Amino acid sequence: MAELLLSAEGLDKVYGTGEAATHAMRGVSFEVAEGEFAAIIGQSGSGKSTLLNMLGLLDTPTAGRVVYRGTDTATLDKRKRAELRNELIGFVFQFHYLLPEFTVFENVAMPALIAGTTAPSEIRARAFETLAMLDLDGVEDKNANQLSGGQKQRVAIARALMNRPAIVLADEPTGNLDTVNTNLVYDLFRKINKETGTAFMIVTHDRNVAQRTDRILEISDGQLVQDVRSA
Amino acid sequence: MLSLRIAWRFLRSSPVQSGLIVGGIAVGIAVQVFVGSLITSLQASLVDQTIGSAPQITIRAEKDGDPVVFSQRVQDVIAEQPRIVKRTVVPVRNATALFTDGTDSAPLNLIGGDLRQLDGIYRLTTRTEEGAASLRSTEIMVGTDFAKKFSITPGDTISLALQGGSRASFTVSGIFDLGSAAFNERQAFVAASVPQNVLGWSSTEYSSVQMQLDEPFASAEVAAAMRAKLPGVRVSEWQAENADLLVALQSQGSSSYIIQTFVLVAIALGIASTLAIAAVQKTRQIGILKAMGLSDGDAGRIFLWQAIIMGGAGSAAGVGLAYFLLFGFSFSGASFTIEPRLPFVLGSAAVGIGVALASSIIPTRRTSRLDPIEVIQSG
Ligand SMILES: Nc1ncnc2c1ncn2[C@@H]1O[C@H](COP(=O)(O)OP(=O)(O)OP(=O)(O)O)[C@@H](O)[C@H]1O
Ligand SMILES: [Mg+2]
Repeated sequence: MAELLLSAEGLDKVYGTGEAATHAMRGVSFEVAEGEFAAIIGQSGSGKSTLLNMLGLLDTPTAGRVVYRGTDTATLDKRKRAELRNELIGFVFQFHYLLPEFTVFENVAMPALIAGTTAPSEIRARAFETLAMLDLDGVEDKNANQLSGGQKQRVAIARALMNRPAIVLADEPTGNLDTVNTNLVYDLFRKINKETGTAFMIVTHDRNVAQRTDRILEISDGQLVQDVRSA
Repeated sequence: MLSLRIAWRFLRSSPVQSGLIVGGIAVGIAVQVFVGSLITSLQASLVDQTIGSAPQITIRAEKDGDPVVFSQRVQDVIAEQPRIVKRTVVPVRNATALFTDGTDSAPLNLIGGDLRQLDGIYRLTTRTEEGAASLRSTEIMVGTDFAKKFSITPGDTISLALQGGSRASFTVSGIFDLGSAAFNERQAFVAASVPQNVLGWSSTEYSSVQMQLDEPFASAEVAAAMRAKLPGVRVSEWQAENADLLVALQSQGSSSYIIQTFVLVAIALGIASTLAIAAVQKTRQIGILKAMGLSDGDAGRIFLWQAIIMGGAGSAAGVGLAYFLLFGFSFSGASFTIEPRLPFVLGSAAVGIGVALASSIIPTRRTSRLDPIEVIQSG
């Protein structure tokens, strides 16, 4: 049995107050082990993004807590949570969010530059290694704007992997891609998961995609209604 | 220094916007330096023209025409005043004379004194255009305008009808130019003994004792202190006699401050609005950087750096532009030169950077407070 990476304990999320309040998440609890490869599914508006943002320490639960490797993140201040995000978590969103002012190489290196603890030569080596992992050799000096949609999303994935995170949280990462690119991205996720032991939690609408993961968490109306592992 | 690097990239990603702001700051600082230096130099030149070669404090007798005694007491009171430049203290005697040349005649005011002492105020020796500065008992120095009018050259002998009716002949030793046509035409310098004989005064009796100060604008204060110690004489000072000039200088000064203030306000508004727009334009980038772990402080510093870079570049370019304008002005034929004072120039540049920094407060705070979830949720 792999070590425990994170646990979600009784997560509640209420947006707004009074009449306008939306109860987007109710008492969701589960655990994720190091190196897991899981999908989160559910209908639109069920609360998948809400959950992922709380797991990613971008949003704070109204009640309950997110614990990473024994650290209750509710006890951390903003700065410490930002450091934890930088160190442990890689994000991939539906939109790539690449910085158009920087080259592909710089975009990928950015998480390490933010950490500010790695030597430039080491950053360089690791960024190139990551780009190679995603079949992006040769585009490093291009501007992020000069790439195709699939390439942009792969650069965004490379950036998420740059600091060798413990987990990648991906919210509909292929929502903007065609089938060919979608399959390419999931094959890459799988390959990286196997090679590096990085855990993945992938929000998807696509049942076919979900079937190819090791575990499916289904959210419905803010609640965890199913949590199944394939054999 | 990641925030500096990001700031630089953001600036370079919109070169037109950045360039316009730097240009705006440059023009503002250039106007600031140019107008400030122009007014300061103009005022200094006006003050110098008015009182640079004139007595700033004068001691006379209560009654016009009476002699003032240059007593030990008077000398002591003068010695006590640290602002009085000692080598400019000159006791003079005045007499009127009439010069006749055929049918033409012209009145002359004779200023009688010791050449070395007169030099302290009037700088006769350095302002002698022709001949040599010398005031022995029968010598006279006349101004260029007078000399030209009557075709007088050094070495000529001129005959004057003196106050009281006597006549005397003088040898012209030198011809001076004190910068004022009226002075050059009407005033002439002679030895102290000439008016003394005409007036029949003793060797300690003078028409006035004249002096200059190391700080001309202290004249009122110094004169007041001297009056308190010298009852029975009249102590006058230049500011009281040039009230119009002072009002003009003052209003010139304050209008210059108003111009400078508005220029700074315009710069501040320009930078503030551009930075605010830039901060909004970069919201998505800032949001994702924060999601990746960029701290609020580092995020805020991005726009602080932008302000420093644009303020610094703009101020430097502005100072360069100002010197260019001043260089151009030196060919304008104005009667005075503009001497930009380095502390003022550096101060203006510092103010430019300061204004830029102040204008970055709002975008800096906005950026530092931005919650990445706002960006992530809005897609
Ligand atoms: N910032 C917000 N303010 C108010 N309500 C919100 C906010 N964000 C989400 N919600 C609500 O919370 C519920 C869950 O939203 P969430 O975005 O998590 O759904 P989702 O499962 O990710 O949907 P989709 O598949 O369409 O992305 C929805 O009812 C949504 O309207
Ligand atoms: Mg969603």
